[in-house]
Amino acid sequence: MVTALRDVNLEIKPGEFCAFVGPSGCGKSTLLNLVAGLDLPTSGEIVLDGRSTYNLTSYEWTKIRRETIGIVFQAFHLVHGLTAEENIALPLMLRGENGQETAKRVEDMLDRVGMSHRRRHRPAELSGGEQQRIAIARALAHGPRLLLADEPTGNIDSHQGAGIMSLIRELAISGGQTVLLVTHSLQAAQAADYVWTMRDGHLVSRTERMTELVTP
Amino acid sequence: MPAFLRALLLLLTSHVRQWPLRTLLTIVGVALGVSASVAVRSANVDVLRSFEQAVMTVAGPTTLEVSGGETGLDEQVITRVRTIAGVTSASPVILQTVVRMRGEQADQAVQVVGLDLLAEFNTRGFLLSQPATESRLMNMIQPEAVFVGAKLAAEWNLSVDDQVDLVIGPKRCICRVAGILQNESDRTSSWERMAVMDIAAAQITFGMVGKVDRIDIVTDEKTAVEDVAQDLRTVLPPHLTVERPANRTRQVEQMVRAFRLNLTVLSWVGLLVGMFLIYNTMAFAVAQRRREIGIYRAVGMTQSRVAILFLMEAGLFGFLGGIAGSVAGVILAQELVALLSRTISDLYAPVGVSEGGLFWAGQFWRIMLEGILIGCVVSMIGAVGPSLDASRTATVRALAPGDYEASQQLRVGMLAVMGLSLLAVAGLLSLPGPIGEVPVLGYAATLCLLAGLACLAPICVTGWPRRRQYMGLEGGVQGVMRGIAVEHASRSPGRNGVTVSALMVGLAIMIGVLVMVRSFRHTVEVWVTDTVLADLVVAPSMWLRGTEIGSAGRSLPPAWLNILSSIPEVAAVDSYRDVRVEVNGQRVAVVSRDLRLHAQWSRYLVRNGDSSEQLRRAADIRGLLVSEVLADRLGVEEGSTLEIMTPSGPERFPIVAVFYDYSTDGGKLLMDRALYQSLWHDDLVTVFPVYLSPGSSIDRVRERITEQLSGAAGGGLPPLVISNTELRKEILEIFDRTFLLTYVLEAIAVVIAMLGIVNTLVTSVLERRREFATLRAIGGSAEQIRQLVLWEAAYLGVIGIALGLIGGGLLSLLLIKVINKQSFGWTIQMIVPIGALIQAVVLAVIATLVAGYFPARWAARQPVIDGLREE
Repeated sequence: MVTALRDVNLEIKPGEFCAFVGPSGCGKSTLLNLVAGLDLPTSGEIVLDGRSTYNLTSYEWTKIRRETIGIVFQAFHLVHGLTAEENIALPLMLRGENGQETAKRVEDMLDRVGMSHRRRHRPAELSGGEQQRIAIARALAHGPRLLLADEPTGNIDSHQGAGIMSLIRELAISGGQTVLLVTHSLQAAQAADYVWTMRDGHLVSRTERMTELVTP
Repeated sequence: MPAFLRALLLLLTSHVRQWPLRTLLTIVGVALGVSASVAVRSANVDVLRSFEQAVMTVAGPTTLEVSGGETGLDEQVITRVRTIAGVTSASPVILQTVVRMRGEQADQAVQVVGLDLLAEFNTRGFLLSQPATESRLMNMIQPEAVFVGAKLAAEWNLSVDDQVDLVIGPKRCICRVAGILQNESDRTSSWERMAVMDIAAAQITFGMVGKVDRIDIVTDEKTAVEDVAQDLRTVLPPHLTVERPANRTRQVEQMVRAFRLNLTVLSWVGLLVGMFLIYNTMAFAVAQRRREIGIYRAVGMTQSRVAILFLMEAGLFGFLGGIAGSVAGVILAQELVALLSRTISDLYAPVGVSEGGLFWAGQFWRIMLEGILIGCVVSMIGAVGPSLDASRTATVRALAPGDYEASQQLRVGMLAVMGLSLLAVAGLLSLPGPIGEVPVLGYAATLCLLAGLACLAPICVTGWPRRRQYMGLEGGVQGVMRGIAVEHASRSPGRNGVTVSALMVGLAIMIGVLVMVRSFRHTVEVWVTDTVLADLVVAPSMWLRGTEIGSAGRSLPPAWLNILSSIPEVAAVDSYRDVRVEVNGQRVAVVSRDLRLHAQWSRYLVRNGDSSEQLRRAADIRGLLVSEVLADRLGVEEGSTLEIMTPSGPERFPIVAVFYDYSTDGGKLLMDRALYQSLWHDDLVTVFPVYLSPGSSIDRVRERITEQLSGAAGGGLPPLVISNTELRKEILEIFDRTFLLTYVLEAIAVVIAMLGIVNTLVTSVLERRREFATLRAIGGSAEQIRQLVLWEAAYLGVIGIALGLIGGGLLSLLLIKVINKQSFGWTIQMIVPIGALIQAVVLAVIATLVAGYFPARWAARQPVIDGLREE
């Protein structure tokens, strides 16, 4: 058995933007998956909003994701058959919300990610950067307090990547969201308030100043 | 093994290992299709083979037979036969049936052959020990002496000099086992399951003194058999038939040809649906491995070898399905043989029941080979399309990032046009008549109909949901789930079209056959209600066992007419005689009764005019009423004349009316009893229909009849006195038994169609693991994922069911108006059994949801994290 994470102890305060960097296989994505309840730890505890997640059922995790968490994936993971606006509306609809309220919220999110003109397009008709903007809008549509971003710039070019990172930061600040970012890219990590470096499942160091990472 | 084959085998096994569940489902589907086809074919073959074997075994060295039909022939004829040049020997034969009694319960029916045991000692293929003394010899030929086949003796636990309780003809008697028939060789023989009596004893016991059923002739080897036959025909009375023993088998084969053919065609439906399943599996395999195919092509595999790879994979499924299906088919066939023998005996001629003959003399291995071949061929035909598609893969596009399948456009519009054209062709093909009495074009029309609807399936799948918006839909989350499911299903019109087609075919056949059977049943019910009006029917005790009991067991003494008429509550008694004779080379039922009496008390459903009037007219002018089936077959109608060879010579009869009759598809002639007696010299009665005075108690009269006739039976069995209601019930029971097999076969086809749905949904779920994981990650619950898959199943189900209903309706028209009419000649009044249709649809919906449930459950249980990692 491979241990993905060991002795990882950290606290992230509401409204913080925290990035995790490190080589492939260091456990940063596993950490994110554990926080999202997509994976379960063999030992240890994750406390969300002061509530222990130990022994939560699958359905309770679903409810937490539905209410509290938004996720942005490297591969966008948009539903192919739905249009951009339908993809954004999806988490709201999964909560049973529909109608005018939802439409307004979707409209607003489309505006904020600058994709109103592409609302009726399907994922296959959008560029990587555009798809990721829709994915961000989807992740934030239901107003989560925690945004988890797993390599959000991994599948797009550096120019679009910079745009995506500034969008995440801007939206998170305006929405008061806590952001956990996992990335390979030091450039992307510059958007965070502080950065944890990981290696072999351990948290190695915390850097407060983004510029310190960029200049060795 | 050539390197190419080794490489193919390697790839093939890796694919099978990769998708074990799909492989299993596909193999099960093929196996089910093969099993139905193998079972029906084997049972069909076995029933007639056992009949043929019995005929040929009893015939022994006989080269020609002289027969007088069911009424038998005068034994004096034998003297004339012996005078013909080329006749080496001529032996009298009685061929009847006895029923063994177990207490008061009738058990197995067994064929009894009456032979001249002294003259034919050990010449017929069985051995008897030589009687040591004159008294032993006398024992052999005593009326109650019966020789029993070895297997029968073992089963009934009998040995020489034991007693056995038998119903012989109209009588019940305790017979003595005079000997056990031993086989001449080590090989199995039909004698093992028969009984033998001396001819004189048989004549007495079966009430046939002075008569025999036939004369078996051995001809001189130097004289051509046909020449001897010709000479015999010249000398003998014209109503006697002279034929080779094998002709009897051919006659029975001819009689049941349409019945067997329809059954066989129905058994192929499972294979047809199985073909859709294979197509589906292979189409998925090709889509799944498109990149892999690109790699094969890039490293030097030729187009044809790519196609062969997929064909071989399908062949492997067919091979494995063929093995499993053959084994299941053989087991199923063992059950079918009894059912089929019973049905053929009920409707056509006594064929006896075979006993596991499928395992004889390499039969099993032949069946296995056939099953494997059928499995392979069907699978490979189903895989031709996907294999060609695989071979035409554009290497560069397959290796490039992006979805290859999304760029593949199925020409749904063109397919739809083709579908409509095929429907039009189906309509045209249903217009002409049969070819050689077989509704070849009717079957072709059925295929065109199903193929046409299958071609329409993709446009139905893709058509309506295109570009539908889910925003603001009523129904909240359910509406969204429905929308996503429909959208996803409509994105793969090719594959989903095939699934829908499989369901459509299964359901269309189910509904088509259901409507046909229900309409037929309704027609028979109306016919029975309108024509069976006698309050009671007095019949031989074993009458309900049909032709199985032999002609002697199906006759009553004419003197009972007076006894029955003397009962005060009895208003009228008819004497009904039903014998099989040959008319223009066809075996038909000649029914005679008191037509005037029948006109007064009952009726026939005549095609034109009034029944009573026609019946009286027929009696007055010595005319005939002919069943619709026979009229069509002989090309006669009201006003024509028909020549029949009677024991009194050829007679020409005017045809007074044509009537609807559903008791036999061999055809029926009806004449006045007096006319029949004067020509056939037969005064026996098959049954007495009894009409009671108004207000009489049926049960009381029945008791009186039983009481009075038991006394008159003189040691014979008490007759069967059956009420009108019971008789109608019995007729409908025979009807239902006849169609039992039909239901089994269509159920198999529906099960295969369901496997198709499971297969498609499993495929869909496997392909969409990432999508489901995403939905879970953004807040979707496991329950919602389950609903999504179920909605998809429901969407495909609804389209399949809608097409199935249309197909079923059209198919029922084809079955009733074309195939059945051309096969059997019956006019069936079409009804729409709403209740049964609703049941069929509900069953299909439930089956679809059940088929969707397991993939849905599986999808909901998949770890989210694995799905998100999926490429």
